[in-house]
Amino acid sequence: MVKTVIADDNQSKSAEDRLFQHGIPAQVGLVIGQLNRSSDRGFVYDLIPTPPTDGGGPACSLKSEAAGKDDKKKGSKSGKPSAELPASLVVDNDWVAEHARQVSRMLLGGMNVVGIYLWASEATFKATSPAVLSQAIKGVAQAAPFADNEFEERLLIHVSCSPRRWSCRVCTLASGGLQPCDFKMGKLLASLQAFRCTYNFEIRLPIPQSGILGIITFKDLICRGIANLAKDLQSAKALINGHLVTENVHTSSESPHDVQFLVPFNKHISTEACSSEEVVGLVVFSGAICAFAYMGPREPILQAISDLKSDIVSSLRSRLDIITDEAEEEVALSLDGGGVSGGDSLAEKSIHKLALREVRT
Amino acid sequence: MEGETGRCVRVLCPKKSLLSSKNPGLRWLIGSPLFLPPFTVVSSFRCLHALPDDDPYSPDFAKEADEIRMLLLRGFNIIGALFVGDGNWEKCAWKAVEASSKMRKFLFGDGDCDLIGAVTDLITDDIHFFVSHSTNVESMEAVSTVVFEDNPETYVWEKGCLLRCELELKLPVFVPLDKTSDVAEIVSSLVDEAAAKLRDPYVAYLVEGSNVDTDELSRSIVLHGMELDSKPDHSDSMLLKASMKESGAKDLACSHFHLKDKNISSSTIRENADAIQIAVLSNQSRNNCKSAVPVAEYFPATEYARNLNVNFKLDVLCYASEDFTIAAALSKLVIPGLIDQLNSIKKAVIPELLSQQPQLCPYHFLPPELLHPVTAIYDLRYGETEMKQGEMRRSLHSRLGLPLDRPLLRIANALSFGMKNTKDTHSVKYGSSLLKNVHTEVPTSGVSGGIISLIDGSYEYYHYLLYGFDDNGWGCAYRSLQTIISWYRLQQYASIGVPSHREIQQALVDMGDKEPSFVGSREWIGAIELSYVLDKLLGVSCKIINVRSGEELPEKCRELSIHFQTQGTPVMIGGGVLAYTLLGVDYNQASGDCAFLILDPHYTGNDDLKKIVNGGWCGWKKAIDSKGRNFFLKDKFYNLLLPQRPNMV
Repeated sequence: MVKTVIADDNQSKSAEDRLFQHGIPAQVGLVIGQLNRSSDRGFVYDLIPTPPTDGGGPACSLKSEAAGKDDKKKGSKSGKPSAELPASLVVDNDWVAEHARQVSRMLLGGMNVVGIYLWASEATFKATSPAVLSQAIKGVAQAAPFADNEFEERLLIHVSCSPRRWSCRVCTLASGGLQPCDFKMGKLLASLQAFRCTYNFEIRLPIPQSGILGIITFKDLICRGIANLAKDLQSAKALINGHLVTENVHTSSESPHDVQFLVPFNKHISTEACSSEEVVGLVVFSGAICAFAYMGPREPILQAISDLKSDIVSSLRSRLDIITDEAEEEVALSLDGGGVSGGDSLAEKSIHKLALREVRT
Repeated sequence: MEGETGRCVRVLCPKKSLLSSKNPGLRWLIGSPLFLPPFTVVSSFRCLHALPDDDPYSPDFAKEADEIRMLLLRGFNIIGALFVGDGNWEKCAWKAVEASSKMRKFLFGDGDCDLIGAVTDLITDDIHFFVSHSTNVESMEAVSTVVFEDNPETYVWEKGCLLRCELELKLPVFVPLDKTSDVAEIVSSLVDEAAAKLRDPYVAYLVEGSNVDTDELSRSIVLHGMELDSKPDHSDSMLLKASMKESGAKDLACSHFHLKDKNISSSTIRENADAIQIAVLSNQSRNNCKSAVPVAEYFPATEYARNLNVNFKLDVLCYASEDFTIAAALSKLVIPGLIDQLNSIKKAVIPELLSQQPQLCPYHFLPPELLHPVTAIYDLRYGETEMKQGEMRRSLHSRLGLPLDRPLLRIANALSFGMKNTKDTHSVKYGSSLLKNVHTEVPTSGVSGGIISLIDGSYEYYHYLLYGFDDNGWGCAYRSLQTIISWYRLQQYASIGVPSHREIQQALVDMGDKEPSFVGSREWIGAIELSYVLDKLLGVSCKIINVRSGEELPEKCRELSIHFQTQGTPVMIGGGVLAYTLLGVDYNQASGDCAFLILDPHYTGNDDLKKIVNGGWCGWKKAIDSKGRNFFLKDKFYNLLLPQRPNMV
């Protein structure tokens, strides 16, 4: 349950100044910060505006309540609020969600897309139905999920231009309800503790001949491997600067802290549900991941360790997504350009859809 | 006291254990050169295998070494031998010394050290001790002082502690379908690889104190493989004392992990063994690897192959002194112990890889009169009563000098480690607070000229309302059963806790004798049900005697007295609405006069011995008392349950 939200004062100030100077009537963007269940404080590190859509329009615009008028797509004229009724906000939910998805891939451990912010006048904000806002927040939450799937809260920050002030609400995803919460500024980024580690892994996945319903794709297999790795990591022991972490002690040494993970001996060889079936091949998935996590001041250390583990896993998942996305694009391009049908040829099938059993002949 | 010249031999095991087998042959003498004073004999193992078969003084060293390596805890070693037979003492002692020296080499590859050569003949109980300081027979000298220690347990456990490491290894093996002859080699090399990896510098060992007290979490540490000695020095027999200054985890002594206030003795170990727990981990964040971008690569199989999972379950127990550093304990005891156990199991598994694999599982035991635990590896495939398993246990009993008619090395008797308090049974929690053997204080039976036959051994007195459980009016047979089971426990035939009423009822439901609604009810049980439960929970068989009338019970006195003389187990008498426990009979065959020693489970008071005896809750009851009253009802059927002593291992 988030009760207090603290935003980094420097970043907030520069964000606010930026917004003011641009003079746009409304803007939506992402809030980058840290929320977790082991603390009742939330942290806000930065605000990132959502760029214009592919079509050139803004992600968020004003809609006049006056009957019958079309949506003003280009709300960039200096705000002329409608005469009788204040305009309300319209948010391009899908676009903001896509923005959240891409940004969250780039974030390190301990930092997440924790909600959205809106830049608008008090009147406009009040005129906007809370349902509109919570829809947008839900979209963002779905596109950029936390490692802790059960954490149900996100933030909605309203930066008001007149009067110039900030307010924050906590949105409960299940109900869509918005509750106000304490909001203050403080020195955050300067006092963040950084944790870093390198994680070496080697996962071997035997592919059985039978017993698989349908075709396994390469991507599915690697996903499974990553899921196993995540399970192993969850129970792994951690050493911070050489000392075993058993409980929430505060480290005395300087940031960045070096973390090492210890897993049960010989565990890297996967013993997937492969009994004595015939094996057609082996996938070896190995390498090293460098991971980081950041922890706010006076927060529990076990949370930082957990964030570091999540960073390793999400890093692997993001890489897999990026590679398979690119592979799809490549194939799409080549099909467009070449115009050769005969899609049975191995080279023309996108890698991630490659049925494993076809490789073996 | 033992001087530097070591001319005093201290024997901790009971003298009769050294003399237990009067067959010609050798007995290996076991001690702990690293941790106990020199020439201290902790136990002895009989030499079972000879080569050739008919020469008992020519041991089959390889086979003996294989078996003893699995059995003996690291931290103990062979320090000599006892020659049982006739002949010139010096010559025989020298043979013993030579044999034990060779045995040490086969066992752990140890070099020479001071050894004991002892001699005893086949008739007398005299043992003559000699010690030898080198391989030269001239150096052997007779020992003038031999001390048979009165308090052997304190000797072993005053500064001793146990270390335990469990490790599960799953080796996936891909077996080409048509080239199955290669399997043995493939598996063998995989196992060797895993064994070698245990000494890898990037393996980490997590050392934790025992689980019993959980308020001291900070005692856990991690030791990295690179901090340990890479090659254990076999000839080093000096104690490594921990340095006083805090120079890091490497120099911590075992005492750091050990609860100081607990007094270890054999009985506390049997109840709930306290060992320093060690887990083997891999450091996945080591810095030496070249950073490698994660890559997934697919290797198609060139020929049809089968995936065979070969699983190893290792469980190694070691003995060390509290002063020993944990780093030294790891590199000299735990890691070699793991490697040895891995190789032993490998040898057993490889011949049967492609058929049904053995499920080998190590267990640790501390049988009575043995001062140190031992390890046995059992194949769980076919159950404990399987012939080969029975043979193996008989062989172990023989080697350790244990009686051949008591099941002391059954899995039920295995040591349990670090049991948290949540899993308590009555006996562990309340154990010593129950009254035992209350019959010893009762007045005489009043039968003149009779022969008294009593139960043999100890029992605990279970009665109504015990442990706050209200079974008044219905639970008497249950209480009698609890008393009987406590007898089996105390005589080391079983180590399961004495079951509660509910557990007894559940056992009957599980075997199909009662409906599920029976559990939690207040229904009575009788002799038949008791025999079922004893069979199910303890593997014990029973005899049942029926009489049609209470008047006929005195006729069964002869049979009962024979029972007490041969089996000596408590008997349950059930008839009408009552059940009693019978502990003995006093029978005058000529006059027919008799009395029954009854332990009455209907007692509802507190465990006050005087009250129990004075109230007659345990006492001799004549069939017809001085006032002419019948103790047993003449219009009721009576059943007598006579549990039998198991005569097997």
